[in-house]
Amino acid sequence: MMMFRFEFFLSVCWLLGWISFPAAAATDQAATEQVKARLIASVDAVHPGDNILLGVQQLIIPHWHTYWKNPGDSGLATQIDYGLPDGAIVGLIQWPTPERISLGPVVNYGYQHEVTLLTPVKLPDNLAVGSRLPIKATAKWLVCEEACIPQEVELELALPVVAPDSDAGPGSPLIEQALARLPSDSPWPLELIQQPDGVILRVLGNEFQASQPSAVWFYPDEWGRVSHGAQQPRRIFNDGISLQLKSGDAPLSPGQTLTGVLTISESNGTNTVTRGYTVRSILASNVSSQPETAESELAVPSAIVLALLGGVILNLMPCVFPVLSMKALALVSHAGHSSQRIRLHGWLYTAGVLTSFALLAAVLIGLKAGGSQVGWGFQFQSPLFVVGVAYLMFAVGLNLSGVFSIGGSIVGVGSSLARRSGYSGSFFTGVLATVVATPCTAPFMGAAIGFALTQPPVALLSVFLSLGLGLALPYLLLSYWPWLQRSLPKPGMWMDRLKQGLAFPMYGASAWLIWVLTQQAGANAVAVALAGIVAIGFACWLFEINKHSAVGARHVSSVFASLLLAAVLYGSYIGLEDSSSTQAAIQEQVTDSRNWEPFSTARLNALRSEGKPVFVNFTAAWCISCLVNERVALNQSEVKLALQSKSITYLKGDWTNRDAEITRFLAEFGRSGVPLYLYYPPGSWSKPAILPQILTAQIVTQAFTAADITANNSIR
Amino acid sequence: MFAKFYLRRLWAGLLTMLFSLAAYAEPVVNQPAPLFSGAAADGTTLNLADLRGKTVILEWTNHECPFVKKHYESGNIPNLQKQAAQQGVVWLQVISSAPGKQGFVDAETAKKLNAERDAHPANTVFDPSGSIGKLYAATNTPQLFIIDPQGVLLYKGGIDSIPSADQADIAKAENYISSALKALAAGKSINQSSTRPYGCTVKYAG
Repeated sequence: MMMFRFEFFLSVCWLLGWISFPAAAATDQAATEQVKARLIASVDAVHPGDNILLGVQQLIIPHWHTYWKNPGDSGLATQIDYGLPDGAIVGLIQWPTPERISLGPVVNYGYQHEVTLLTPVKLPDNLAVGSRLPIKATAKWLVCEEACIPQEVELELALPVVAPDSDAGPGSPLIEQALARLPSDSPWPLELIQQPDGVILRVLGNEFQASQPSAVWFYPDEWGRVSHGAQQPRRIFNDGISLQLKSGDAPLSPGQTLTGVLTISESNGTNTVTRGYTVRSILASNVSSQPETAESELAVPSAIVLALLGGVILNLMPCVFPVLSMKALALVSHAGHSSQRIRLHGWLYTAGVLTSFALLAAVLIGLKAGGSQVGWGFQFQSPLFVVGVAYLMFAVGLNLSGVFSIGGSIVGVGSSLARRSGYSGSFFTGVLATVVATPCTAPFMGAAIGFALTQPPVALLSVFLSLGLGLALPYLLLSYWPWLQRSLPKPGMWMDRLKQGLAFPMYGASAWLIWVLTQQAGANAVAVALAGIVAIGFACWLFEINKHSAVGARHVSSVFASLLLAAVLYGSYIGLEDSSSTQAAIQEQVTDSRNWEPFSTARLNALRSEGKPVFVNFTAAWCISCLVNERVALNQSEVKLALQSKSITYLKGDWTNRDAEITRFLAEFGRSGVPLYLYYPPGSWSKPAILPQILTAQIVTQAFTAADITANNSIR
Repeated sequence: MFAKFYLRRLWAGLLTMLFSLAAYAEPVVNQPAPLFSGAAADGTTLNLADLRGKTVILEWTNHECPFVKKHYESGNIPNLQKQAAQQGVVWLQVISSAPGKQGFVDAETAKKLNAERDAHPANTVFDPSGSIGKLYAATNTPQLFIIDPQGVLLYKGGIDSIPSADQADIAKAENYISSALKALAAGKSINQSSTRPYGCTVKYAG
């Protein structure tokens, strides 16, 4: 909305042709074909010795841009030289948060449409009251679209010097806008981690998981610290975001500080808000870096070796062990067969594992190409996937327990146990081993996978295949070396007992996954999942008892069992979608120390008719600004104290899920999204004060006081 | 038999993957410079590999870019080209401007422009598809690369130390290319081998 209004304002300016300037006399405004510049000040008059802000606003025609302090791959930062009386101290330009401008493979950092560059100035003490302070500014910039044009303008302004006790005036309203566009200090702790070909910037804060920012980008202050054009793969963890930054031509060494601006964009469906945060983080020198030479050549092979080892170790994990045991069991049952056939089983199992890993890699490559940022175990972020795997584990358990058995033709869960020559069974056991291995992989393989995800597709694929090869290797060796086979025990009754015993790790895995689901989607999801489990049990039993009945009855029971399974999956889908969306709201209510009550128009009207002061906060779980404001301002003790001491009722409107009442209310204030902060001072006719979208504890407490005073005055 | 065959294939596959990874890297100083061939202003096809044994300077250019104009109109680049020629260094202009974009010229125009500017590069290479530019990750005009007689990249970066479009700054700036040429003539190594290029964006297609 803000953005829209501003664009409208811009187009009106251009339609009116703005103002034409006399070429001879320098004024506070000047224009080139592409840029209209204006010199502004934070005051209308100055006192001797004042600290003021001067600024140059650039209005840039569409498709053209000027540059940030680090222009990126090409371009030049705008320069402003101020001419001021002796004794004035001119500070550095305060650069607003830039944006990325890509031209093919070249990426620039700069500004489009409009930007105001502010500079703090300390005026001399010896200014004569009654005189005028002359301010000159020479602004040089490079403005580019496809072509680039260096330009220079002279701007002048004269401000009256007034006595220290007289009013200096509000200055240009553009100053306030420009200040709002400056990056703010990062409210989150930052961490830099050395990587073979760059650094990882970690932003530690647990709100990102809920808010799922639509874009995150780091802009380095200095040229070449980070490759300007490289992608910055992002991962969101429970405790923060990490950005993988590729080194540029002037890479950071340990002990040096990386400075820049981190932008985080969040969208609420209709518009996107981007906020900038200053970054200042030292690259720890105690982290041992790879040898200087041939870093990238070393990194991929070592990741491949790591992946291979990781794959072997995976076999010992509870996720995979039952499957491997299952396979080993099948091998024992093949012991009498020719060595060639046994080897073939080994290779088919390996092929199953490798195919699944290749597929997984292909999915990751596809997702990466599609721009979404993924991490290993990504599929486990979806409650539906988790419940699906829980169902699968449970069904495998039932199969091992002997509740039902299936033929080799059906996608081979356990089919290798059912049929002796099940070649397809061996292949699909490999697939199954991969599916169940993924949750156990994360702690072991974090480093190698994390590395692979940032690599080109070929490297990613080789790391994944290596991991798969590791997983398949023990079984492959077992099938290969006859002496290993000979030392295996002979089949017998114990096999059946073992098979039945192995059902329990499967039930265990299923139980564990349902516990995972609790974390993801709340208590209702567990009810959904358990109902699904019961239905699956019933379907499997039905399937088994009718297996040997007449053809008609068999078909009826198969259809019924299939319908039941479909109902389970559909029901889980509906149930989980529903419960995960309400989860965020529930969690917040539970964890927040409540000094607020939920917003409703009725409650607000009731409080106001009693003339009580009310503070209203419209927020949403996915709104980072809202969460930051709550943390740095609203939850601060001085704000809590002010709320308490002034007996202000704090109402919180949660817009995480669409809420027509709140949407209507926001619209009344000309807003299409959150945050919106309102303060209704005491008195039933009082008008609400609208607080800024970026809060500090001071802004809030001052807003309370200021609004109270205004309200009192108007009553008198 | 069957298994051995597949095992061998598997390892061969992995090795091939590793090998193809090496082709991913961007040009790095002290590493072999990427090889290319392209149509040249004299009507021949210029092949970088044929220039083994000679020091080669690649200059990305676009005659309409104000930063390029600064260094041609002031005589800075023509002087460097003369200095290079005297030292036996092959100076190649590379034009990566796509057809229809600023700086795109045909061979005749390129020769005419150089004559007008009293510029004497050894040759001009046309790269309308931008493939040579992307091979060298060239972003700016002017941007320069120096390759030694063994084909190793010695320098990549800007022309001098003051990023501006103002001719008056040339005298005040440290000229990286003239320093490099002097160092090479004296048989010394180049002091600053990777610097920040400045200028206009290379006008690639798309």
